[in-house]
Amino acid sequence: MKKIAVCYKWVLNDGDIRVNDKTRDLDFEKSKPQINEYDRNGLAVGVQLKEASGAELIGITCGVDTEPSAKDALSRGPDMVYYLNDPALAQADSAASSKVLAGMVRSLGDVDVVLCSECSSDDFAQQVGPRLGALLGYPVISYVSAVKLEGDALVMDRKLEEGTESVKVKAPVVVVVSPDVCEAPIPSVKQILGAKKKPANAMDLAGAGLGPDAVKPMVTVQSVKAPLTSRKAVNLLGDGESVADAVAKLVKQLSTDGLL
Amino acid sequence: MSDIWIIAENTLWARTLAAAAAALGKGGKITAFVHGDEAAAKDAIAHGASEAFYLPLPADAPWEAYTPALVDKAKAEKPALILLSTSRRCRDVAARMAALLDAPCFSDGKNIALADGGVTANTLLYGGLAVKTSVAKGATVLVTIGAKDFDHGAPDASRSGKIDTLPLSAAGVSVTGRKPREAQSVDLGAAAKVVSVGRGVSKESDLDTVRALAKSMGAEVACSRPIAEFFKWMPEECYIGISGQQIKPQLYLAIGISGQAQHYFGIRDSKTIVSINKDKECLMNQQADYYIPADWEETVAELAKAIHK
Repeated sequence: MKKIAVCYKWVLNDGDIRVNDKTRDLDFEKSKPQINEYDRNGLAVGVQLKEASGAELIGITCGVDTEPSAKDALSRGPDMVYYLNDPALAQADSAASSKVLAGMVRSLGDVDVVLCSECSSDDFAQQVGPRLGALLGYPVISYVSAVKLEGDALVMDRKLEEGTESVKVKAPVVVVVSPDVCEAPIPSVKQILGAKKKPANAMDLAGAGLGPDAVKPMVTVQSVKAPLTSRKAVNLLGDGESVADAVAKLVKQLSTDGLL
Repeated sequence: MSDIWIIAENTLWARTLAAAAAALGKGGKITAFVHGDEAAAKDAIAHGASEAFYLPLPADAPWEAYTPALVDKAKAEKPALILLSTSRRCRDVAARMAALLDAPCFSDGKNIALADGGVTANTLLYGGLAVKTSVAKGATVLVTIGAKDFDHGAPDASRSGKIDTLPLSAAGVSVTGRKPREAQSVDLGAAAKVVSVGRGVSKESDLDTVRALAKSMGAEVACSRPIAEFFKWMPEECYIGISGQQIKPQLYLAIGISGQAQHYFGIRDSKTIVSINKDKECLMNQQADYYIPADWEETVAELAKAIHK
């Protein structure tokens, strides 16, 4: 096993997104981009496989302005990062993202294992990993909760509704990991400083062997609105009130609603 | 009138999807592909499918190994819409089929409408913080839909249709073992009230306080992802979220949960959500019906006292 690619998405921190009460639009002003939390587990698995196999670990991402992601990604273990920016990717759906990532993987050449995580914290579509495998013509193992290297094969457990399915597959393969596959350690100061010395390479569509059609979404967004049925978010702890006052109001409300 | 395919991982899903297909296809042909045996195919026909293919679980390959055969057939027949269940294997099949057909795919689509201009559907963004309305055009559009989104009708045993199966392709993956899920100690999906704990609760022994409160309320206890997966204070089957349980109780009481999108996804259909979190601005408070921005220990103690009265 020589080369492992790990895909990650540079997404807005959803914890800091607010809703504009009047327009029901999302307010992203306070929200900063970060590495999709699910992908941090993918990166951690990449490090484990790199240590077990001695393979080169390459982080790859695509989006609009992903260069700043490289340093964070590199602090999590990859030897280098390739990022691909294109303005059209602002509207990227799972189809576009997977086509671009497939082009990037192909251009890296002879990638044995492609790691993805099961979803991103924005769309939760759970499509990119399996789509990527299909486009590359690699077997796809999704919902992976355990991975181990065994000779030139990977031995994995998949967690499905009915139970666990254990599989064995030879490279090349796309592995889509679930969050419980392993912990994603917070990078140490040494790792953060070390990240600056590792290469972050820009790639463009041509470099990934792609034309402009690859970034065209197949799904066109018409509107994004916070639902009107959104909850009232009533603060029961008024100014100068005690916790006991707030609890009294809650108990009264829940009793009225027949919930206590 | 449009021809619609349904691909389901079990009989119940197949019934749901057949009802959805009947509503959307307006009399078009409904072709069902169901995990299981001939009986599963017959059940799909009794519930509205025009023809049904049964796809038994292969002994040594994942069920997803039917994907190439499904793709070949879809290329030949060009159904306007393919509806799949939101179970894990079907999500995987949906995404792979979409890539191989170069087709759009909605995950967890709601309010699906089929018109000449394409397929319109709503999907959730940031775990339900917003709803995205999109339109997809293509010879075939795929949508995964939730089990509870459509009610299925009564079976009609007099219905008949072609029953067949599909060939399996070599998957390049060997299944070396299968272990059924251990019996669940709680059925969170059926609970009317759920009390749930998150990282705001600082030590494992705090769970006893929460369990006592839940007991006095007649509620089951659940948790956020880190409590089950990282701290391992509760079994994995107890965590709520996109990769855990998705529930819709009458009352969801969140204690010390920040309300990340992946968590909110699992509770968005709850009737009433109450949050106790000292961080007033946290998403859980902002997405709750009622919240108390205070120390959870003090609040739970007061709540226990009030309920005791």
